[in-house]
Amino acid sequence: MKVTFPHMGNAWIVIQTLFESLNVEVVVPPFNSKRTLNLGTKLSPESACLPLKLNLGNYLEAASQGADTIVITGGIGPCRFGYYGEVERQILRDAGYNYEVVTLEPPDGSLLGLGKRIRFLAGSKNSWTKILKAMRFAYLKSVALDRVEDLIHAARPRLPEPILTEKLYEQARERLAQTMSEKGIQDTVRWVQESIRERQEAVNNSERINKPLRIGIVGEIYTILDPFSSVGIEEELGRLGVEVDRSIYLSGWVGSHIFRGIAPGYRSIRSYPRHAKPFLPHFVGGHGVETVGAAVKYAREGYDGIIQVFPLSCMPEIVAASVLPKVQEAYNIPIMTLIVDEHTGHAGIQTRLEAYVDLLERPRHLRESIETREGVLSVGG
Amino acid sequence: MRIGFPRALYYFDYYPFWAGFFHCLDIEVVTSPPTHRQIMDQGLKKASDETCLPLKLLAGHIQAFKDVDWIFLPRIVSVEADTYTCPKFLGIPESMLPAIPPGMSVLTVNLNWRKGKRQVLKDLEVLGEQLGKSKADIRKAFSQGLEWQQNYQDSMGAEWNFEESIREINRARKNSTESVQVPTLVRLKDRVLAKLPARTSKYTPESRIVDQKTTERLRIGLVGHSYLTHESYANLNLLKRLREKATVELVQNVNQEEVKRHLSGLRKKLFWSHSKQIYGAGKKFVADQKVDGIIYLTCFGCGTDSMVQELVSHKAREQHKPYMVVTLDEHSGEAGLVTRLEAFLDMVERRRAHEGYVSTYGECLDRNSNTV
Repeated sequence: MKVTFPHMGNAWIVIQTLFESLNVEVVVPPFNSKRTLNLGTKLSPESACLPLKLNLGNYLEAASQGADTIVITGGIGPCRFGYYGEVERQILRDAGYNYEVVTLEPPDGSLLGLGKRIRFLAGSKNSWTKILKAMRFAYLKSVALDRVEDLIHAARPRLPEPILTEKLYEQARERLAQTMSEKGIQDTVRWVQESIRERQEAVNNSERINKPLRIGIVGEIYTILDPFSSVGIEEELGRLGVEVDRSIYLSGWVGSHIFRGIAPGYRSIRSYPRHAKPFLPHFVGGHGVETVGAAVKYAREGYDGIIQVFPLSCMPEIVAASVLPKVQEAYNIPIMTLIVDEHTGHAGIQTRLEAYVDLLERPRHLRESIETREGVLSVGG
Repeated sequence: MRIGFPRALYYFDYYPFWAGFFHCLDIEVVTSPPTHRQIMDQGLKKASDETCLPLKLLAGHIQAFKDVDWIFLPRIVSVEADTYTCPKFLGIPESMLPAIPPGMSVLTVNLNWRKGKRQVLKDLEVLGEQLGKSKADIRKAFSQGLEWQQNYQDSMGAEWNFEESIREINRARKNSTESVQVPTLVRLKDRVLAKLPARTSKYTPESRIVDQKTTERLRIGLVGHSYLTHESYANLNLLKRLREKATVELVQNVNQEEVKRHLSGLRKKLFWSHSKQIYGAGKKFVADQKVDGIIYLTCFGCGTDSMVQELVSHKAREQHKPYMVVTLDEHSGEAGLVTRLEAFLDMVERRRAHEGYVSTYGECLDRNSNTV
């Protein structure tokens, strides 16, 4: 049995770790690329959302590396992601791929069924203690990954030479992927902190940017966690001198979706529904409420702008998108919505981001220019 | 007190319940007029761009109300255990607020059957407080609503007509002098029953099908959300056009037991109530030898359909059943639809006439030469 799984940003590191520490053979599919998307789009129903298309692409690419079992999480709706497993299984079987699909969820609410599925994946050699240990370790890794990502978010606008920052991020991810001890995880996070500090000290005081613009990114989890599907929006914003924060981090999702809130994750998503209440008091599936809640939270925290990202035809996010104008009005904060699908081009997104950042910078400039004008008028008067 | 009930979305499924409910509470329910061009245009202006056609229509219908005290927009979370409605239903009324005309207020209530009848009643009692009705009143109204809904659903036979049944309900609603508990719907059904010979008193759609087997008309299964199949403006009168040329088996007419039976093949239960009906009915039509072809009516951007359509088409392909997907949006043109419909029906008819007649003569069937 060779297990594979769909990509979602950095999630591969966590999933790979989980299976490797259980001695299960795992195939990490090639990273999301244009090729992945093209392969997936050919098989997918045309109006399916972007994640499904990328998932199918991942499976096809993994199949050529010998994978024969797919692991995917599930859910009982109402977001259609909950039904991905079954639809993907049928599509793949139709296309002649003999995949076994294991959906990690309690089937019909039965925990015993979930246990059986885990047992099927882990084989008979692993004891439950070992499985739980492996899960804990993978979880710790996801928290560390999120911390590193957050550091990089803060470093991007503040450090010169963006290529070096990206390299640092790349190396940190590599180290995290390879390490198999808790100490290794901690060391990597510390190493990233040290490197950033060193580079920051090298920057002249005069060139230092202390207060970059801050933008909160909210939206559908797959597209905000996966840089390929959001056309690298975080990196792009970082290069434009913007500090980015994101509503959902991987470990927060793992904590609430897989551990059912037993572990809160690096950034818990628990507080969002409370924030969303005045605007959207009821859950709408997926992360619709979280999107609205996070937008309110960012607005209250004084962020300069909010960008919502979601795949075309995403149902919960459409509901959120139709509520967000009210948030925009109430807190006087510009909210931009980016919808991505397989036709999204890099240049288009880049232009929109630049325009948006320009728009956010204007109030700052205006404040300064008003001051000078007063000066001029006083001279004239 | 007058309550505006938009003729969109859940109107097509649950209007009888609310009609009975409010009738019992002595509240007048006003439905918006059937969709026309202006309603659609208004809806397009106010609804968010990304949302689907039915919600845009809802936004239009909301704006069509003139003098009502409340616009009623319930949040129908779930209508049976273990399922949800579409996520966009869950976002009502918040996502519809931009479409509310200034000065009008919204009446809403959560309806969540997942949590059981008691919770539904509790939520309705909250609504009752808002309307100044006592708990006992609400209970009574609730049971009457359920009764009307049941009668409505029972009346869905093979030749069931949506408009007709709604008219019956409205008639019952207006005749408040009559005994209230039994809408005329039931009597209509009784009349049908009485006409049938005593032996076939078990009135099932199948008994009808056998009668009509002799006719040469095509039999087309139409599947799709009720708010598309019955929304004759948005679907460009598809149902009527289809009925002119063929006998239509409608997704809503397939009874629950049959749907349940056909759902059993899935590894994972579908968790959308409409999709369950669509998939179950679709699979039944695929298996049914008497159905010549299937038309799947969907709208652009429908999330649940994007999954279920794939499942149904998979089944249709397996059985080599003619299958067509019609996708509606606000730009749907009549000519395009008619052409596709005619082509599809022609194809189905040809297939029925020539099915299985592949020449066994000769060694090859080369279309470029007429010699063997």
